Amino acid sequence: MQHSIQPQKIGPLGEPMAHAVQACVHCGFCLAACPTYSELGQEMDTPRGRIILMKQVLEGNLPWESAQPHVDRCLGCLACEPACPSGVPYRDLISPFRTIAQRHFKRTAGEKLRRLLASQTIPYPKRFRLAAFAGGLAKRFRPLVPSVLRPMIDLVPSSVPTAQQLSRMNPAKGERRGRVALLAGCAQQVLDPDINAATIEVLTRNGVEVVVPAEQGCCGGLAWHTGDLQTARRFARKNLDAFQLDVDAIVTNAAGCGSAMHEYHLMLRSTEDEKRADTIRKRVIDVSVFLQRLGLREAPRGAGQPQKIAYHDACHLANAQGVRREPRQLLRGIPGVEICELADAHLCCGSAGTYNLDQPEIAASLGEKKARAVLTTGAEVLVSGNIGCLTQLRSHLAKLGSLLPVRHTMQVLRDAYR
Amino acid sequence: MSAQLAPGSISELVEAVRSTQRLIPVGGNTKPRLSKVDAARLTIAGLRGVTEYEPSEFTFTGLAGTPIAEIADALRQRGQYLPFDPMFVEAGATLGGTVASGLSGPGRFRFGGLRDFILGVRFVDGAGRLLRMGGKVVKNAAGFDLPKFFVGSLGRFGVLAEITFKVFPQRVASRTIRLVADSTETAASIAIQAASSRWEPDAIECLPDGKSVCLRLAGPADALDAISREILSSWKGEMLAETETEKVWSELQEFRWATAQGPLIKVALTPATWPSFDRGVRELNGTRIHISAGGNVAFVSLTDCTVFAKFDQELRKLGLCGLTLRGDAPLWCGARTQTKITSAVKQALDPENRFPSLAD
Amino acid sequence: MLVVPDGVISRLASLLPRERLLSHVEQLAAYESDGLTAFHSRPLAVAIPQTAEEVITLVRFCKEERLAFVARGSGTSLSGGSLPVAGGIVIALNRLNRILMVDPALRIAVVEPGVVNTQVTTAAAPHGLHFSPDPSSQTICTIGGNVAFNSGGAHCLKYGMTSNHVLGLKAVLASGEVVEWGGTSRETIGPDWCGLFGGNEGLFGIALEITLQLLQRAECFHTVLAGYRTLEQAGDAVSMIVASGLLPGAMEIMDALALEAATAAVHAEYPPGCEAVLIVELEGPRETVEIERARLDEILAGSKPVQTRPARDAEERQAIWKGRKCAFSAVGRLSPDFIVQDGVVPRRRLGEALRRIGEMSKEAGLRCANVFHAGDGNLHPLILFEGSEHGALERAEALAGRILRMCIEMGGSITGEHGIGVEKRQYLPEMFTADEIDCMKRLRAAFDPLEIANPGKVFPGGDAPALQQRGLHPLEQAGVLSRE
Repeated sequence: MQHSIQPQKIGPLGEPMAHAVQACVHCGFCLAACPTYSELGQEMDTPRGRIILMKQVLEGNLPWESAQPHVDRCLGCLACEPACPSGVPYRDLISPFRTIAQRHFKRTAGEKLRRLLASQTIPYPKRFRLAAFAGGLAKRFRPLVPSVLRPMIDLVPSSVPTAQQLSRMNPAKGERRGRVALLAGCAQQVLDPDINAATIEVLTRNGVEVVVPAEQGCCGGLAWHTGDLQTARRFARKNLDAFQLDVDAIVTNAAGCGSAMHEYHLMLRSTEDEKRADTIRKRVIDVSVFLQRLGLREAPRGAGQPQKIAYHDACHLANAQGVRREPRQLLRGIPGVEICELADAHLCCGSAGTYNLDQPEIAASLGEKKARAVLTTGAEVLVSGNIGCLTQLRSHLAKLGSLLPVRHTMQVLRDAYR
Repeated sequence: MSAQLAPGSISELVEAVRSTQRLIPVGGNTKPRLSKVDAARLTIAGLRGVTEYEPSEFTFTGLAGTPIAEIADALRQRGQYLPFDPMFVEAGATLGGTVASGLSGPGRFRFGGLRDFILGVRFVDGAGRLLRMGGKVVKNAAGFDLPKFFVGSLGRFGVLAEITFKVFPQRVASRTIRLVADSTETAASIAIQAASSRWEPDAIECLPDGKSVCLRLAGPADALDAISREILSSWKGEMLAETETEKVWSELQEFRWATAQGPLIKVALTPATWPSFDRGVRELNGTRIHISAGGNVAFVSLTDCTVFAKFDQELRKLGLCGLTLRGDAPLWCGARTQTKITSAVKQALDPENRFPSLAD
Repeated sequence: MLVVPDGVISRLASLLPRERLLSHVEQLAAYESDGLTAFHSRPLAVAIPQTAEEVITLVRFCKEERLAFVARGSGTSLSGGSLPVAGGIVIALNRLNRILMVDPALRIAVVEPGVVNTQVTTAAAPHGLHFSPDPSSQTICTIGGNVAFNSGGAHCLKYGMTSNHVLGLKAVLASGEVVEWGGTSRETIGPDWCGLFGGNEGLFGIALEITLQLLQRAECFHTVLAGYRTLEQAGDAVSMIVASGLLPGAMEIMDALALEAATAAVHAEYPPGCEAVLIVELEGPRETVEIERARLDEILAGSKPVQTRPARDAEERQAIWKGRKCAFSAVGRLSPDFIVQDGVVPRRRLGEALRRIGEMSKEAGLRCANVFHAGDGNLHPLILFEGSEHGALERAEALAGRILRMCIEMGGSITGEHGIGVEKRQYLPEMFTADEIDCMKRLRAAFDPLEIANPGKVFPGGDAPALQQRGLHPLEQAGVLSRE
């Protein structure tokens, strides 16, 4: 649509944002895909509506605070992108906008605290481990915890698995067919370190040498998606240094991380690191895609009996990276596996990074719906490729009284090998 | 009082309307009760002829007084037909009268009735103006859909002068199967199942005997034979020979099964209410019923008007509504609601109250 | 210019909880446009009812206060049908989204107006049924909107438009009267009130409950995509199919630009070197389709295509339709600024019409993509222009006008399915005489004596802007409404 945004006045991210606004023809197809429209039923909480609000703010025609609640409510799930016939790159608008909005949006003291706690603990596995421990304790005193912090302790598990050290170098078994570097993730290492172990095992079994550079850190996704450009850049640069390796691919096993690394060029736009950010992002792929392309050398044996798997598409795999086929193909390669599709599969589970901390009601509503959809399939296990989704769905299935196992694609594959 | 106006052209029609204080248009008078009101009779029989017919466009335009038989003929010659399957064709039904009465036949089951094929009208309104609404193409969204409103308007809102319709290509072959049901419930059940089947029947009719369900299929001959075999393996019945087929459909189309003198009434129905309707009505002395369009229409023939009151009561009990096509009985029966919008629209189209009210 | 009653919003506020009466600037901004992006207009407030009773209360309130209202479903109208009216409110129906009943034996569904079009088919599918009208926006457009605009889609020649599938309606008229017409029967007794309401473009009232006809899903489909070197050849192929006596469920044509857009949007694959692609779909019992497809293949072969691709399974069929259905909005990739037109010409003159559109576009220095329902002559020229270029919008609008006049001249219509809305008001007098327009106005007045329901639409003159070829409309100058 027509706009009067002046990109040069905004900064390096002005251009991509203006381009995204320009591409929108206001057709409304995105409303069918947007979880917040499904929940709230009003135009301001639709991609189309948000584009109008962000456009007007950037034009100087609307105050920042007016757009804030609706921009805050955006899950960043990007379900609108595949639904958009016009090809609006909504991701080029929402995260950049949030970085600029950061200094304009007003937050209460409690919100500031929560955001600070999240940004200062989650990306740092040692700190997060401590915080998770504390959170686990705090669960017992939940009524005493300020309401803005309660979603945090609700989400933290009562206990976290023991830490697992990752070898810097994991040699391929048998003849070496490839070499990759693995992004270990941050929250994932604390909440379910076995995912990395499983990933490495599956890769090495298939002749892939896995390097886990020690100098890496959080992908920066959390900071980027919540508008903290400084921090996002810092994390991005750190990883740009850490992953300057001679490998076939940089592999991720958390959807959110993979998608964040794919946006490094945007985070570092107009900086001296832009070029290498652009180079590196093209080398990042999800582990399921890497394995499918390479082809499994060894087929998994499977449990020897039929297994009904409900597969949940993490938004940052399906929408952000376009990865839908590969995880399913890998799972179907296990003898006896039947994949059940979820009703309303396009709707986000509500995890969305730290969304379930910032917008607990909407996140809970989406989480419950997704959990119910899973239970309706009658599947024996829920599988997904993102730690955030796994955590969210574990929590909501438990709330519905279900003990259904929730596993990462790599864990299922690894188990099928044994 | 009942002076006969007989315009021979559209301009004469306009003149006739303007110069008459109160009038009712009449076509072939095949549904006489519809025009039995206290008003001058304006016969449109002189307005006849196919104005425009473009087979490749699937449209034709004819003057309102054109007999359906003539139209059907013209269409047949070019391999097309009227999917809404008009009634009283032999008896002389006209295009205008058919539209105004809203009378579609068994074939309406497949693709729809009059309302689904009418595209445009030229009519004279109550102020004596010749107006055109709708268009001459099969797809049109300009202006309000007055053409649909005229279907079933009984000449109370304007005089139709010329009508444009969508038509369809005639299918290669046709087959009629007569199934035998042992009860009304079974007949209704057969109708529901046939309607939900893969066979795409053109017509699903229950004959006045109350037990025979006729299915008409249309399409390529070989396909119909295969489908017919499948139908006959599901239910007891037979495929009718050509002459028998002619007879069955003609009898329904011309209402030959109905008593000549008594009231003939059209009732809107659903397959769900069909059995209770049949039960309630068949009890009334000598009443005959033809259930049409898969159970969506019932044509009821009462022996005389003495049973009418009971019939009216039955309809009310079931929440159904009926329109008397011929015979000495009130125009309407059954459940009806009065709305303010009816008089408001009447006022809009007929400000000088030239045409009778819908209630008369 | 509409007179806004004093304090009306505060009185309105007593009818709905605060969160369902929107009046803050950012809330109103989100509702300023519908699918006709070039226009926007800020309403006084947006009311979001959740029940039919609330809708009735709102409409009656508007009548009491002489407050203009515009009903809105998903806001996807391409003619500005749900464009707000300055000085009036928007009544958003999207939360009335319950499917009240599906009866497989009677093959009907009763729905609220905010139910999304595809949701009806989703609810009907387990019973082997579907809702036939399938406009391109069907994944988001609502039934209420479909009824108000008598929406079409690709299957109209054989199965008709929305109105042909409405058996019953409960509606609140702008006069405040609540009416119930029709019911569950396929047949009507008396005038077709549901038929008259269909396509009223929001000028008569708001539908509250709609009884829809569901059709049996065909047993078998045969969908073919045929590529042609020229548009003419594609059009000729359609004529040949029509002449053969076959009645396909759908016949659609897309031209080169539209193909380019669809390819970019959904990675559709089309035969190379084609200026036009024809999609033909047969459906019916398997025995019938078996025989008819052989006939179709014969005809298509004789039409000298570059390549024909029959869909080999349901997935391929879906892909063919996906490419076609995304075409409008996908054109946004070629040029985010464009005008979608919706004219009808007699089907046999399609080739001629397209040639003339090509010539007129060239004269205007603009590109025009074409997507159309070849079966019924309904064209959708998509006029692309560069929004930032001075005078480009006006040139595009002028071209749109010329195309519409051509349609009228050929004996067609200025709108096949999008309606008049705001966009084509000025052309109404070219299709209808003054008496005819007067008749329609009287009809409107019967339903809406105070002219509060979607005022300024359909009829020329009045508050909403007519298409201007030069300069700003006075209301735009006054800053009451604007366009991009």
